[in-house]
Amino acid sequence: MSAATRQKRLIGGVALLALLLAIALLLASSAGATNVSWRAAMSGDVTARAILIGIRLPRALLAALVGATLAVAGVTFQTLLRNPLADPFILGVSGGAACGASIATAAGLARLPGVVPAIAFAGACGATGAVFLLARRREYTDPTRLLLSGLVLNAFFSAVILISFGISRQSDLTAALRWMMGTLFGATWSDVVLLTILLVIATATLASIGNDLRMLSFGEDDAKSRGVNVERVKLIGFITASIVTGAAVSVSGIIGFVGLLVPHLIRMMWRRDFRFLLPLCALGGGILVVLADLLSRIVVTSSELPIGAFTAVLGVPFFLSLLRRNR
Amino acid sequence: MLDLRDVSFAYEGSQAVGRITVSFDATQLIALTGPNGSGKSTLLKLIARVLTPHAGEIAFDGKRLRDWPAKEYAKQVAYLPQDPDPAFSMRAIDVVVSGRAPFLGRFAWERDSDYAEAEHALDLCDASHLGDRYLDEMSGGERKRIFLARVLAARPRLILLDEPLASLDISHVQQFSALLGDIVDRTGVTVLYATHDLNWAAAYSDRMLVMQRGVLARDAAPAEVMQPEVVRELFGFDAEAVSMNGRSWLVPRVGVSKA
Repeated sequence: MSAATRQKRLIGGVALLALLLAIALLLASSAGATNVSWRAAMSGDVTARAILIGIRLPRALLAALVGATLAVAGVTFQTLLRNPLADPFILGVSGGAACGASIATAAGLARLPGVVPAIAFAGACGATGAVFLLARRREYTDPTRLLLSGLVLNAFFSAVILISFGISRQSDLTAALRWMMGTLFGATWSDVVLLTILLVIATATLASIGNDLRMLSFGEDDAKSRGVNVERVKLIGFITASIVTGAAVSVSGIIGFVGLLVPHLIRMMWRRDFRFLLPLCALGGGILVVLADLLSRIVVTSSELPIGAFTAVLGVPFFLSLLRRNR
Repeated sequence: MLDLRDVSFAYEGSQAVGRITVSFDATQLIALTGPNGSGKSTLLKLIARVLTPHAGEIAFDGKRLRDWPAKEYAKQVAYLPQDPDPAFSMRAIDVVVSGRAPFLGRFAWERDSDYAEAEHALDLCDASHLGDRYLDEMSGGERKRIFLARVLAARPRLILLDEPLASLDISHVQQFSALLGDIVDRTGVTVLYATHDLNWAAAYSDRMLVMQRGVLARDAAPAEVMQPEVVRELFGFDAEAVSMNGRSWLVPRVGVSKA
């Protein structure tokens, strides 16, 4: 197989997934509790416009962005930590974000707009910083220490979250719990713009160290001997993936499974080279969360169900069937 | 080509190699031997730029290592750690072509010429037929050849192999040793490989370095090292020399009480 054929395969994969993502977005913005159509919105129906462009489209787009972000972060962590079980939340990002959000709820701040996402993002950044400080010694970041620090901090955060819930007012708890389980309710265009910018910057940054990250999968000594500045690559990779994860979590709450599952799905369907995985995971993660969010809205009409449940409901059967096929 | 002068390194205060001075020229198969913990791996890592010497100087083509741009040096010197293990199983051809990484720009992809180099390297290692197989479907001997092809793919002038014969059964040890000699002859590369098997090292190498407690205790032709009194002193190996086909082989002295 020539280099050109390999690149065509990547382009083909990107085109296919982009098409599927477009279809998923169209489906997600068309379906919902109210029956409105894009045709009506285009021909000047104000209500249809308000629902489709004001509510459903930003929500569907935000779902795609959150899914893309989590999958990109997941594949980065798996590559950096050389661990197939790594997910975007493994370094305490979700715990830190949830901790911030639950403290804000306990303090009665949950009703002020934008406060919970902001504090959640601060919590995510704080947790990442803490995990890094704990794992770093003598200018060396030990992957095992990173994992352990993330695990232990997540346990600590869980304790803080439980205590915060205990002292929160009953009326605030519903929103906090919904956030913890992942929700895109109330998505705005400004969320979409902000996360788009972050995701583009992060993906470009990760692509710029793509060759080095691929070499890291052979081990740190091996990569060093190939001229890779290993500590720099680890630092850039971890920080970039953590910041975008924090941003995604702050707008969507905690949506599990995407970051762990999508990279494995893509690996089984295409190649295992990080440079292939990056764009394909972004698209795959987007598709999964758009569909999961759609299901969470339409399965029952009386309320919304957690998105995280549907990423698993959709992803697991697909994953298992691929696992069986790949020996 | 490569010169080490008074090179020392310590891990957190405990000396691993001390004041090593040695030079390597083109087209040699050099065995780096010595008991466990004698500093063989550390020495290879220092030359591979995985570790930086605490004292002394390493120079390649007369230029100090720290003056070489990292990727340029990686084109000259290729290193294979003892147990290379990609976190996710890959196709052999992808493993081998990744050896071309020092030649790639930041956003660049391998070109046809890189794949041609990779296939040439697989061919040198008698592994062309393994190109499309996944690593985790291969035997230990096959994997070793894939990783040897990976270091060859960059066409380096010096290859450093850490214990390439460990965990191979005896017929694969023989095949792999012969393969190393063959590659040196055909490509003019110099191979420095760590091993603790003296007989195999002596049978196939042009030169033997013996490390002992972090210092270079011997640097000699195999025949000079393969003497019972020398290996007793250097390895604590109680051996008898047997001469066969004009070579000296060391066999353990058995039936002698330790008294």
